[in-house]
Amino acid sequence: MLAAGLLTGCGISLPADPEGTLDRVRDGQLRVGVSTNAPWTETRDGAEPAGIEPDLVREFAATLNADIRWSEGGEEKLVDELERGNLDLVLGGLTKDTPWAEKVAVTAPYAEAPDGHGETHKHVMAAPPGENAFLVELEDFLAQQELRQEVQP
Amino acid sequence: MSIRFGRTELPERQARSLRKAIRFEWLSLGFLAVFIALVFLVMGNSQAMKAAWIEDLLSLAPPVAFLLAVRIVNRPPTRKYPYGYHRSVGVAHLVAGVALFAMGAFLIVDSASGLLTAEHPSIGSVQLFGHTVWLGWLMMGVMALSLPLPIYLGRVKMSLAKELHDKVLYADADMNKADWMTAVGTIVGVGGIGVGLWWTDSAAALLIAASILRDGVKNMGAATTDLMDTRATTFDDGKPHPLPARIDGHLRSLPWVREAGSRTRDQGHVLHVESFIVPHDGRVPSLEDLEAARDACIDLDWKVQDLVLVPVAELPREVGGSGSDHQSERNR
Repeated sequence: MLAAGLLTGCGISLPADPEGTLDRVRDGQLRVGVSTNAPWTETRDGAEPAGIEPDLVREFAATLNADIRWSEGGEEKLVDELERGNLDLVLGGLTKDTPWAEKVAVTAPYAEAPDGHGETHKHVMAAPPGENAFLVELEDFLAQQELRQEVQP
Repeated sequence: MSIRFGRTELPERQARSLRKAIRFEWLSLGFLAVFIALVFLVMGNSQAMKAAWIEDLLSLAPPVAFLLAVRIVNRPPTRKYPYGYHRSVGVAHLVAGVALFAMGAFLIVDSASGLLTAEHPSIGSVQLFGHTVWLGWLMMGVMALSLPLPIYLGRVKMSLAKELHDKVLYADADMNKADWMTAVGTIVGVGGIGVGLWWTDSAAALLIAASILRDGVKNMGAATTDLMDTRATTFDDGKPHPLPARIDGHLRSLPWVREAGSRTRDQGHVLHVESFIVPHDGRVPSLEDLEAARDACIDLDWKVQDLVLVPVAELPREVGGSGSDHQSERNR
C-alpha cells in the first residue's frame, strides 16, 4: 500500500489538539470520570475505582507521568462534563455503538466481549470531542495492551 | 454495426465518439465504485469526507443516466412515441440536476450547523501493520489518489459531449472537472484538523456543498429550459445552436423561396425542426421542390433528421416574421 509507507513515518505526530488536552495532561493531571459497570468499572466508597478500565487508565496515566483525579457519576452527567472540557476521559464499559459517540470522541475498540444475550460488543472509552492528539495517544496505548482475547467477563 | 440515435444513423466519426463515450462512462463507474468504497472505509467523523463521499455517490447518476439513455434513444419512433425516444436524455438530465440540488442543499445545512455549533470533529487512529496511524493521513491519501483520473476523464468527456451534442455527458464532464476541487478541499479540511483547527473541516464541507448545489442549479435550469423547448443551444448552453441559421440560410437560397424561418427543438442529441417557408408570388411549390429542399437540409448535419417544411403565406412572428401573428394563434 502506497499509503502505509508514506504515513507510518509521521503517523502519530500530526494530529494536534485544538484545546491542548495532551499537553496539559502530560506531567500534569488526568481527570477521569467513572460510571459503574462491572467488570469494566467498579466504584467503592473511600477507595479508588477498580476494574478493567481504571486499571488500564492508571497505566496510561503512568506513560504520561500524570496524576489521576477520579470523579464518579452517571454516564449522562459525565459525558456532559467531558463535552464541556471539564473531564479528559469517561469510563463506563461503553461500547462502539454508544449514542454518546455523537457528542464526544470514542476510542477505537480495545476489547471485545459477549454481553450475556448472545451478542459480542466492542468496548471503547470516551474522550473529549476533537482532541485528536490525546485520542490517538490513548488509542496507541490501548492497541498495545492486547486485551482482545483475554477479556471474558 | 451502425449506431443509431432513434432514426438518426450516426456518421462514422460520431459513432466512434459514441462508442468511446460509452467506454469512458463505464470506466467512470468503475473508478467511482472503487473510490466510494475507499472513502467510506476511511470516512470517520470528517464532515468534508462525508460531503466528498456523497458527491462521489451523486457522480454515479450522470454516467448511469447516459448509459441508460443511449440504450433508450436507440429505439425508432413508434405510433405511441411519434417523436422517438430522444427526450429520455432530457429527463435523465433533469433527474440528475434535481438530485444534485437536493443533496447540495442538505449538505449546506448539515455543514453550516457543524460550524455554528462549533462541533469539534474527532478523528482517531487505525492499526496498520502494527503501527498506530492517524486516520486523517488515510483520508488525505485517498483524496490525493482520487485527484488525477477525474481530471483526465472530464477532459475526454467534454470533447465527446461537444461531438455528440449530449448535455448529460456535458454535465458529467463538468462535474468531473470540479471533482479535483472537492479532493483538494477535503485534504485542506482534514489537514486543518491535523494541525488543530477544528473549523477547517466543516468549512471545506461547506465549499464542497456549495459546488454541488451550483452544479444542481445549473443542470436543473438547463434541463428545464430544454424540456420547455427553448431555442436549441450548443451542448454547453453557451450560445444559440448555429444549425437553425444554416437551415434558414439554405432555404432562403432556393430560387422559389422568398422568406424562411425555423422553430427548433433540442430533443437530446438531435434537433427537430419546423421550417416555415414563404414561396415567391404565393405560388405553391411542387412536391419535388419540397422534398429536394428537405433532403438538402437534412444533409447539412447528422443532427437534423426530423424536419418538417411548412409553406405559409406569411412567416410567424417567433421565427422572424414581421407580422404580429404567432403560429399558435393562426386559426382564429
